[in-house]
Amino acid sequence: MCEKMNRSLAFLRDKYGCPAGEIVPGNEGFELALPDGTRIPLLPWRVERRFVELKKIIDGKTLEDVSTFRFASFTAGGDSVKSAARELELASFLAGSPVKQLFAVRSTDAACNILARLANGMSASVECGVKLPAGADPMDRHEIIARRGVASDRTVDTQVPQSSIYEWTGSGLQTFTDVDTELFGLPNDQIWIVRAAFAVLMKPELAAEWTKAAAAMKRYADAVVRSDSENQPVQL
Amino acid sequence: MKPVKIAMMGMTHGHTRKYYQTLIENQKLDWVASCAADENAKAVYELYKTGVPCYLDPEKMLSEHPDIEAIVLASANEKHFEEMKFCAERGIHILSMKIPTFDMAEYDKMIEMVEKADIVCQIELEMHYNPVVKRLQQEIASGKLGKLLAVQATNITLSPVWAFPWQGSPEASYGKRVPLAPGDKRFRGGALCDHPHIFDLIRWLTGSDFDTVFAQVAPNLRRELEVEDMLMAAGKLKDGTAFLFDPSWSRLEERLKVPAPGWEVFPKRMEVNLTITGEKGMIQCDCFGPNVYHNGAPNDRYTVQYTYFDEWVGLIDEFVDCIRNHKQPKINLRWHKRTIECMNACYESIQSGKTARV
Repeated sequence: MCEKMNRSLAFLRDKYGCPAGEIVPGNEGFELALPDGTRIPLLPWRVERRFVELKKIIDGKTLEDVSTFRFASFTAGGDSVKSAARELELASFLAGSPVKQLFAVRSTDAACNILARLANGMSASVECGVKLPAGADPMDRHEIIARRGVASDRTVDTQVPQSSIYEWTGSGLQTFTDVDTELFGLPNDQIWIVRAAFAVLMKPELAAEWTKAAAAMKRYADAVVRSDSENQPVQL
Repeated sequence: MKPVKIAMMGMTHGHTRKYYQTLIENQKLDWVASCAADENAKAVYELYKTGVPCYLDPEKMLSEHPDIEAIVLASANEKHFEEMKFCAERGIHILSMKIPTFDMAEYDKMIEMVEKADIVCQIELEMHYNPVVKRLQQEIASGKLGKLLAVQATNITLSPVWAFPWQGSPEASYGKRVPLAPGDKRFRGGALCDHPHIFDLIRWLTGSDFDTVFAQVAPNLRRELEVEDMLMAAGKLKDGTAFLFDPSWSRLEERLKVPAPGWEVFPKRMEVNLTITGEKGMIQCDCFGPNVYHNGAPNDRYTVQYTYFDEWVGLIDEFVDCIRNHKQPKINLRWHKRTIECMNACYESIQSGKTARV
């Protein structure tokens, strides 16, 4: 997987003339390894186009006075606490404000519900589960509710993500959702990892910012576990 | 079977108009009279041209129609106790709106009055008569999902306060003026009071009961309101199921005095969706739809138009069956008490900033 992603990264580096770096597996996800030995955690959701656009909608004041983030993420396997911490990091990124307090309830390691308060007063809820059957596509939703306007990565009155192409043939239904022409053919989750690595190489100041955000995400995960075990909100 | 002579009272509740068609069409009923809380409610009622006479004094209504057997209390929450007393003293069966009262001492008196009078008192929780919920219940009961681990549910709508101002009044909605939390200028009585359904549904679907709850309010979308319009609640049931509820008024609306086409600012005015995780799989469920869509009059704005809203048919069928066959409705005062207690616990949690035991 890394080899394929690094080939794609090399293509982008060559095309845009950016410095050397390599995608490597880390403890909490993929990292960018620089020639001087520095390793930078990659936060692929920060470059994923739907989230980039949602952030533009907030920062550009298309939405006015954000009140609440309603996020959900359901996967086939994985770690529901890490998944929840990532969603909280995303909320913090979109809000431009860290999480100040969270309350979490877990049901074994399979499901995790969180209510959080950001330092700027905004509210967030995160629903995570890992009990989709093996092979099922992840199901998620990111909705931002403001005094003026609601933004979401899901269509109104739908429950599941839409695909770009639906193809019915003798072998059944096949769907396609391609999101990157330059990296066409690479699976979408890998595209965002490559794009994240490329973003850090093109914009070195992201290294410190993302390292700090990854540390915050770790604190969020610890707080989720603590809040659940104490059955009380935890201050961060 | 002899049709039940029925009346409506109050006519200020947001669900009032949803009864008209059923009360007129259902052959097991004879809708003989209505009694509005005031001239405004009477004027709005008359817009719907039901042909059923409307009074302003309940005594006058009863003197004109002494054979009334049952009354739908379609009024503000603060009126329910006196109206139930009025009915119980006369042996009249009651169909109450979804919040009998938030005052638990008053609630216990309601139970006592109803049981002493030996009348039917059904609480209007129409989701019980929704076909999607019925299917959902069957799927869960089949064991396909295994033991339930987590339930997330929305009961989100536009705010009805502009058409039904009592829903924005702490006294009329919650029963008294209680600040949400220290330093918060808002009071109890907003979106939470409008949305008991998901608190009820989870008990029904799991067969379990609430253990603890933590609730959190968000900044209001409507600055003018003195009650909460955005909040969430998370907690655990006694069987360990984790839940997260969103009972907010998170869909903005045009500030119409009478509900009508064009009410929506957000395209979809209402949603009750559930996500259920079990040991063996997951369900996502939208309790309403499939729907149709338009961008026509009056605002040329993309709008979700509902295609199914017949919950009141089943609800009324059960009410009539209970009256004629002396049965206890599924949603009676005793069953519903735990739901109200959990909603009160949400307010306690908001006030303390801590988890509340239900």
